[in-house]
Amino acid sequence: MKLYKPEVEAQRFWNPYTQTMARADLDRLHLRKLQTVIAYAYARSPMYRKLLERHKVRPEQIRTMDDFVKRLPFIDKKEVLDAQAVSPPFGEALAVSEEFFHQRFATSGSTGAPLHIPLTYHSAELWGESWVYVYWAAGLRARHSFYFPFNWGIFAAFWSAYMGVRRLGATVVSGGGLDSKARLRQIEQYRPDVMLATPTYALYLGETARGIGMDLAKTSISHVIVAGEPGGSIPATRQAIEDLWGAKCYELYGIAELGPTNPGCPLQGGVHLCEDWYHALVVDESGNTVPYGEVGEHIVTSYIQDGQPLIKYRTHDLVRWTDRPCGCGTTWLYYPGGVLGRTDHMIIVKGVNVYPSAVEAMLHRVTGLSEHYELHVGRDAANDFVTVKAEARPELDERRYGELRRDAEAVFKSAIGVSIGVEVQKPGSLPRYELKAKRFFDHRPAAHRWQLGGRTGA
Amino acid sequence: MTREETLERIRDLQARVQELRQASDNPAIERTMQLLDLYCHMARWELGDVQAMIPEAEAR
Repeated sequence: MKLYKPEVEAQRFWNPYTQTMARADLDRLHLRKLQTVIAYAYARSPMYRKLLERHKVRPEQIRTMDDFVKRLPFIDKKEVLDAQAVSPPFGEALAVSEEFFHQRFATSGSTGAPLHIPLTYHSAELWGESWVYVYWAAGLRARHSFYFPFNWGIFAAFWSAYMGVRRLGATVVSGGGLDSKARLRQIEQYRPDVMLATPTYALYLGETARGIGMDLAKTSISHVIVAGEPGGSIPATRQAIEDLWGAKCYELYGIAELGPTNPGCPLQGGVHLCEDWYHALVVDESGNTVPYGEVGEHIVTSYIQDGQPLIKYRTHDLVRWTDRPCGCGTTWLYYPGGVLGRTDHMIIVKGVNVYPSAVEAMLHRVTGLSEHYELHVGRDAANDFVTVKAEARPELDERRYGELRRDAEAVFKSAIGVSIGVEVQKPGSLPRYELKAKRFFDHRPAAHRWQLGGRTGA
Repeated sequence: MTREETLERIRDLQARVQELRQASDNPAIERTMQLLDLYCHMARWELGDVQAMIPEAEAR
């Protein structure tokens, strides 16, 4: 006996009704959902009532998608933090009483005060559901077991992925509270099918495995699903993970305060917008929507965050969006390459946009360099300049580091068209991370970073 | 079963679940009916039948 009927289990999509819906119908459905969430936020969240009143717009005035795009302001993390500060922890950002909370999370606050994230039971179920689209598309079903090498703390991180496994009806194996070696032993013991981790940690486990003489490609893991930082849609990084684990690698892109917004495409070249539960725009620095095919800042509205609604929320992530079919069969918007970088990490060297994800992709082309790197950006009188610090592979003789540096600089110059400096580091000299790796170090004055003008809520 | 037939059955089921939730004085039954109500709500959204944002809060 199976949890799903065989004919249902054979379905390609988790929700075929919307995942194959024509674009015009999807957009009509989005408008109804947007109207619902705007009315809800206006009625229940003091932060939204004040924001809309400040912009002299009422929910009933949002009659068309054009109204939504042009009349409603963006909102940024700082405004949510300010609203929370009125009466911590949630203050005026809250839309329901705490009686309805199911769980609460917070961001690390590494760049300021932590942002508090309330989750109702309803939100938690839908955070989970948003993961199931990638699980299902990757061929994962209730019979599979999912390994979480993750410490279950206050950060949202892989909690939503766990909620997704519950929603799918599959098995959770927890690697919480263990070090990396103990987790690898657990994988040998319990033989899970799927491992969820950041790309950095998926690769780091490879180093740990080598240290104890274990071959990850011979474990039971057939699927690695990565999230938390770019990598799953960067071909070279994905290939490195697949080679290491002898498994298929898929991605999910999410944002802590919004949830799992973009499940990976089963064809692995990018991510889709989860249009059941999110709406998105992609805008330029003036706040104008860019045409399909162009790159801009990802602006997201959640239909899930009923505890703390977020409408036209600035993610500061750079994506390229398209309505062109990617080939997997869904009509949901597609972001080839996933997240290309952060708006505040946008680098312009002699007029050429350089995305951190492109630098990572190039590094993998250089034989002798490992996946551990840092990207340092500075500014001289007229230009940004970039220096990549990358570790050499352990087997490479230190006398060859100069040659390796020249090779890497030549690859960057030929692929991106501008000069990027490379410093080759000894193996193990750069820090290792269990969740998100810190790879980007910005030494530029604030005035030389991306600034979104136009209709901000400030 | 068509989308419309599915939706009709879900709406009927949800109405009966809500009645039972109101009628019951058993905490375990009330909570279970709340969750059933929520799942009916989710199923309606999944089929594009957009209603309230969060049934367990908006029903009060």
